[in-house]
Amino acid sequence: MRLRVFAVSLFCLVAANAGAQTSKAQAGKSPEVRIDYTQETLPNGLNVIYHVDHSTPVAAVLLWYNVGSKVEQPGHTGFAHLFEHMMFQGSKNVGKNQHFALLEAAGGRGGSDINGTTNWDRTNYFEQVPSNQVELALWLEADRMGTLLDAMDQTKLDNQREVVKNERRQSVDNQPYGTWLEKMGEALFPEGHPYHHSVIGSMTDLSAASLTDVETFFKTYYAPNNAVLVVAGDIDVPQVKQMVRKYFGSIPRGPKVPALANMSVPVVIGHQQRYVITDQQAPAPAIYVGYRVPAATDRRAAAVTLLADIIGSGRSSRLYDALVRRQQIATNVSGFNLNLSSGADELIFIATGKPGANADSLEVAMMAELAGASSFTQAELERARATERFGFVNGLQTTGGFGGRADRLAEGWTFFHDPNHVNKVLAEYDRVSLDDLNALARERLLPTNRAVLIYVPAKKTASADTRIQ
Amino acid sequence: MHSAPRMKIVALSLAIGAAAANAQTQAPPAPGPLRPYVFPQVNQFQLANGLKVIVVEKHNLPEIEGRLIIDAGAQREPAEKNGLASLTGRLLSEGTADLSGAEIARQMDALGAQYQTGGGYSTSFADVVALKNVFPQAMQLAAKTVMSPSFPVNEFTRVKNQAIAAYQQFHARTNGLASDAFVRAAFDSTAPFSRPPNGTMASINALTRDDVVNWQRTMYAPSASTLLLVGDITPAEARSVAQQAFGSWSGTRVAAGPVVNPVHASSGTRVILVDRPGSVQSTIIVGQPGFQATDPEYIPMLALNHVFGGAVSSRLNSNLREKHGYTYGAFSGLDLRPGAGVFQMSSDVRTNATDSALVEAIAEYKRLGSETVPAPELQGLVNNLVSGFPNAVQSVQGLTGRIQNLIIWGLPLDFYTTYRERLAAVTPEDVRRVAGSKLTPNNLVVVVAGDLSKIEAPIRARNLGTVEVWDSNGNKLR
Repeated sequence: MRLRVFAVSLFCLVAANAGAQTSKAQAGKSPEVRIDYTQETLPNGLNVIYHVDHSTPVAAVLLWYNVGSKVEQPGHTGFAHLFEHMMFQGSKNVGKNQHFALLEAAGGRGGSDINGTTNWDRTNYFEQVPSNQVELALWLEADRMGTLLDAMDQTKLDNQREVVKNERRQSVDNQPYGTWLEKMGEALFPEGHPYHHSVIGSMTDLSAASLTDVETFFKTYYAPNNAVLVVAGDIDVPQVKQMVRKYFGSIPRGPKVPALANMSVPVVIGHQQRYVITDQQAPAPAIYVGYRVPAATDRRAAAVTLLADIIGSGRSSRLYDALVRRQQIATNVSGFNLNLSSGADELIFIATGKPGANADSLEVAMMAELAGASSFTQAELERARATERFGFVNGLQTTGGFGGRADRLAEGWTFFHDPNHVNKVLAEYDRVSLDDLNALARERLLPTNRAVLIYVPAKKTASADTRIQ
Repeated sequence: MHSAPRMKIVALSLAIGAAAANAQTQAPPAPGPLRPYVFPQVNQFQLANGLKVIVVEKHNLPEIEGRLIIDAGAQREPAEKNGLASLTGRLLSEGTADLSGAEIARQMDALGAQYQTGGGYSTSFADVVALKNVFPQAMQLAAKTVMSPSFPVNEFTRVKNQAIAAYQQFHARTNGLASDAFVRAAFDSTAPFSRPPNGTMASINALTRDDVVNWQRTMYAPSASTLLLVGDITPAEARSVAQQAFGSWSGTRVAAGPVVNPVHASSGTRVILVDRPGSVQSTIIVGQPGFQATDPEYIPMLALNHVFGGAVSSRLNSNLREKHGYTYGAFSGLDLRPGAGVFQMSSDVRTNATDSALVEAIAEYKRLGSETVPAPELQGLVNNLVSGFPNAVQSVQGLTGRIQNLIIWGLPLDFYTTYRERLAAVTPEDVRRVAGSKLTPNNLVVVVAGDLSKIEAPIRARNLGTVEVWDSNGNKLR
């Protein structure tokens, strides 16, 4: 499966392909896919994007706030995400559990249609509902953007702090290999860099979060001028525009958002890093390799994704062929990038050993394969492109929710100041040449530009914890 | 057109101003007129070899899913061959007479097709999702792997080792340990559903290539299979794709009878504990066996489940997460399987709250039968299912999954044409009735996987039922 956890998706209508005789189309050509939209900016600075699709009576409301864990200061890791939880605890006109209760009663499925997510670069909130309920979703989003602090209290914070600690336990501390993402950020970005620490944050910092922090964070980042609102699907744009003005128009513009710390890092790290982690719960060894690569907003971003696919994604990838199929030392491999927006991104390759495999042998085999990762073939490039084309169209099926069309539009605005970015994605993949790929691999896939995490089951003998300078 | 909406705004903002001046809160806006939704028509036909084909059209994007399901799931494998259906399914993609597994993978990826084969409890399957322009080719290649797999010896060994590894990885997690123990405790040991669908370490280890070859030869047949074609495809195109891909498939199979799944006979609640030292969270599961979709009470059961834990705003999550902070989430569901499915809640809870979370979950379970659900609560949660349905079937995968379930569960293909109306008609009395007749809150299966050095004593002290400690293979230790 090539689902990339960190990517978003979007939509279109393909009038050109709607007929019955399109099977003559070339396999090696991108389908014609276009997402139409209109865009406006309210006087308070709120950017709004409208996208119409009447094919099903579903509408999506989605807000991206331009704030993520990268704004967190030392001692406050995990706060952007904890704050996201507080946004579901009610506001002036909405009781504690009412956000989900109202939206679920309106026909939005909690979790998949109604949710919020935080990553390094942004925080999003979304509601996918029957199209006659779009006004409810707009009202709820506006109420918390305008009046969250009116309903904030210590009990809510204490409750959600516990919930988030449970989330950390569930996704990190209680899972085999659960710490890899946290350790990888720490290794690939220097101390003090905004991507050095994890989104989920440390237990100590979560414990220290206060109501004052909630208030300050809200006043600093949660303002119309630091957000983009997307309303998509089965909507009447003039009518929805009136609703948007009615609910969001009176929310005052916030102060200018503080400038980010310097995100830039050297092109390559400059020294080798190797960490051995003894894992109480892992039944087999696993190797996680991360490289520092161009960020998601870089013109080489498409090449980074294709590189991940060719080397480590799917059953025709190099790592699968070598480690799983031929050498039979691993049982699973994967390759993907995190899509970090600025400074640099992380390109990750994972190989999980077969039961009883020796971690050292698995490491040697994986490093050998990565060392030879260049001289890609046109066939490999075309396979990766075909995969991404499919993934893109597949992601366009839903109006909202995780990675639906609304999310794609917001992403374009937030990271590229261009809602039309969605309509350029496939062309970006089409543009990548073999030379581009080979050049990127030669420049970045270096032992001095990566971190290697070796997870060894506790019962096995672990090599020494070393860091090779 | 412009002036009317503007006037409306003035009126509404005055109203808001008045409300704010008077008191505290604004009411949420009322919904607009509901727009119609019609579930797509489900067409079906049969090929000459007996293969049933079901077509659901959805033309807004050039994407199609083709899913072949074969009545050859783990439920039909002999107990001593546990894991055979799954292993055989996995191996389909690993070689045909003229293509190696590597070559099949390269060809599918060159088409940009998502291709998966495998086997679950109820069926074995081959699934292809691809853009329309390459779909016929991808479907044809997938069909070839189903009809004439070669099961190369080296791939057999490799995939078998992968299955063993997957079992170990699953059992390295509390939810894997708990879910396996739950079905073992809920069903009689003779029931296929008491066994893990992918097999155990020992049973997978014992499987041979001959077992796989024989399973495919005797169990895979067009008359025992259904092909679902969903997405940007017309019935005429579907007929041609199906004929091209599967027209040459021959072979017959003796019709298989219904699967018998006796539940575990016990009186009183059983509490099964499985140790995972070092866990900072425990997985808890509370439930009971005995539910199926063909039951006339299926629709009220769905509503009951939604009151209990089917949604974020349901009772379980409101209690265990929002009130007590024991967990990141607590949910329940009906895992419907032909013959006898299960109704269960599960949650990952922090270690030192494990016993308290169990007490709350069981109390909520009991409350379903002892109190009538307030009408507004029921109405909101039922409407979540009713109105949220179109959201869930925007993708070909969402549609395919739902049609597949109808076939597996033995429901009519037009089930979804009246599904929403039937749900909307469920009353609090219906829920109370079905809770009374179906739920056995004093005869539950409770399973906990976590660090027993920390949780066993507190759980025993709660006197929830008979406590047993099992190893990860279902053997009773004490």
